[in-house]
Amino acid sequence: MSDDILYSVHNLSVDYKTRGGAVRAVDNVSLDIRRGEILGLVGESGCGKSTFGKALLRLHDGPASIPEGELWFDGRDLMKLSINEMPAIRGAELGMVFQDPMTSLNPVQSIMEHLTETIQAHEPKVSNAAARARAEELVERLGIRHERLKEYPHQMSGGMRQRVMISLALALRAKLVIADEPTTSLDVIVEAKFLDLLKELREEFGLTILLITHNIGVVAEICDRVAVMYAAKMVEVGTAEEVFAQPKHPYTQGLLKSVPNINMGEGELYKMGGEPPSLLHPPTGCRFHPRCPAAMEICSRIEPTFESVAGDHMAACWLYQKQTDSQASTRKKANLG
Amino acid sequence: MDNLKEQLPNTPPEGTTWEVELKKVGFVRRLLMGRHWYGADWWFVVISSIAVLAFIIVAIAPGLFAPYSPDALVGPRFLAPGAYAELSVLVVPQDSKVNQLEDLAVPEGADRPQIAVVQDVPTSGDLNTQAQAIDQELKNQPAGLRLRPIIDRYASLDEALQAVVEGKDIAAVIQTTEYKNSHAQFPTLREAASLTGEKVAGGFILGTNDIGQDIFSRMLWGTRIALIIGFSSSLLSLFLGVPLGLLAGFMGGAFDRLLSLVMDSLYAFPGLILAIAITAVLGPSMLNIIIAIAVLYIPTYYRIVRGQTLTVKEEVYIEAARSIGARRWDILWRYIFPNVIPSVAIIFSVNVADAILTGAGLSFLGLGLPPTMADWGIDLARGQRFIQSAWWMITFPGLAILLVVLSFTLMGEGLTEIFNPKLRDR
Repeated sequence: MSDDILYSVHNLSVDYKTRGGAVRAVDNVSLDIRRGEILGLVGESGCGKSTFGKALLRLHDGPASIPEGELWFDGRDLMKLSINEMPAIRGAELGMVFQDPMTSLNPVQSIMEHLTETIQAHEPKVSNAAARARAEELVERLGIRHERLKEYPHQMSGGMRQRVMISLALALRAKLVIADEPTTSLDVIVEAKFLDLLKELREEFGLTILLITHNIGVVAEICDRVAVMYAAKMVEVGTAEEVFAQPKHPYTQGLLKSVPNINMGEGELYKMGGEPPSLLHPPTGCRFHPRCPAAMEICSRIEPTFESVAGDHMAACWLYQKQTDSQASTRKKANLG
Repeated sequence: MDNLKEQLPNTPPEGTTWEVELKKVGFVRRLLMGRHWYGADWWFVVISSIAVLAFIIVAIAPGLFAPYSPDALVGPRFLAPGAYAELSVLVVPQDSKVNQLEDLAVPEGADRPQIAVVQDVPTSGDLNTQAQAIDQELKNQPAGLRLRPIIDRYASLDEALQAVVEGKDIAAVIQTTEYKNSHAQFPTLREAASLTGEKVAGGFILGTNDIGQDIFSRMLWGTRIALIIGFSSSLLSLFLGVPLGLLAGFMGGAFDRLLSLVMDSLYAFPGLILAIAITAVLGPSMLNIIIAIAVLYIPTYYRIVRGQTLTVKEEVYIEAARSIGARRWDILWRYIFPNVIPSVAIIFSVNVADAILTGAGLSFLGLGLPPTMADWGIDLARGQRFIQSAWWMITFPGLAILLVVLSFTLMGEGLTEIFNPKLRDR
């Protein structure tokens, strides 16, 4: 693994147990997150992007499990650690910001308690006073007056709470922050400020950010690279320029066409046909083929591999596959065998 | 409602806020209908909290408020509330040397003293009893004195006292109140001593019971026992039910299922029946009552806390806490517990009321405390036997139970509505 890759996910799968059988919410996904980048992870609702984000922290419990995959973070495989070792890494090295800032803070704890608790949970030797001083310094940097630290979550606005969530991740200088739709419930002005803040923090703290979102505009605004998921599968990864200028996968193309634009006339907005597939019974072959405008005969039979299209630009689509039909068939048989 | 609209010329349109309506009604109606309006709930909490506080103060120091000890036989039996305790008093001429009944004793064979009493007044009975007791003592002494008074009965009080003034009788035995009313007419007479000596002649505002104990004092002392039972059994079930509910909700799995099964079976029993069964096994004592009632209410806490834990566990901030590295114990103790505890505080208050009621019920059935204790349930059971002749014996302990239970319940309900505004529209 090269040094500039902070988090390397190999063949990660996440299963949910349901009454109808196991649902594979993330299926055999590989992704490299590079040091200091902002990587956007986009996809429809329910495509598994949030599950993927949580899996990076091994936050799964209850019905969810990770049957296979390797999570190489900063030189070690998190899957090889016992689950009791994970709390030491969560927060300290890996942080997470959740979608709804209104409910992601404990309503009966003041902001100060949140911060000092986080600091002291990982560094028990830090005194209360020192932890408080660090917390004050940190929130001032994020644009919250330190007097407000003694307030409770309900006294703060959504934007402030989201900044508090970020500060929880920064309190211990997490290397990677996974932001799961952090701006979905914020209005556009607060959203823009928050995105600016993320960019600044990236520069200042050398932070790496995985930004999970369904908002293409946000991705275009701040992301260096973009990963696109569809029905539990990774379908395309590339730099933001590449993906936006020359989307390879038909799903990405459709997704970009579906973004409303103020210059569009009435009825011009593209609507992708069909429905997202049920993950309980996913389509055979390429999962996008029932909705794909460029579907070929092979698409419904054999799954395309995820491979390079041009340099680092990767896609999983039969339009760009180097393997032939017969090679794929043999591979498939070998897999089955 | 339609009637009301016709009567009021400027009825505001449908859906106006409570403020308008609240101004139109008087204080009493506002109190009675307070629950219908937002903002009036605090009355219930304030009034019931004051009552609860008063009960607690009385329970801590009943001696400060109660005029008598709860066990002392302080007055006549079956004295009605407010009635003055009638005691027989010895009335003698001003210049007489007699100060108490013993002074009337004379040597054997001498003229027996003549004492005046009023007909159909129980003082002659007192006189006989006392005189016989003194006579018995004197018989055993060497002085040879005897006290065997001749009782002269007169038709009225005035006649009896006149006889003493005239010297026909050496003394009169009459009731204290009667003497107080008429002693101005007989300036030459004085009150020597109460015939019964030490006995208190004060009034009993709530009357006395079948053995002459003061009902008011017993009621105040009973507060202590009621609150001890109510609080300690509720606290006991809280300390057992809350952790069990937290653990079951948090851990889930087989532990949760097994515990829920046990708790639900406990919950399915009718409350008093289960308490009776437990006390029957454990035997009657204060501690056993507390244990029996505590067992009864553990499922209440368990169910509420478990349900709340299950809800809170799925909140985003719990996941957020895990994402910053909080450990399981921290999540349970610092995140789930503080978010669950407000609902526990509310059921605690209602629970205390319930426990007092059950405790009194057990005592009433004779399964609770030893019958010598000043307990409302015991007093109820005792008063029930005399319900036709002495209504006050069962009424006042009953009222006390009602008041305590009502104030605790109202406080709990009021707190619920304040803390949990979603329930306000029920």
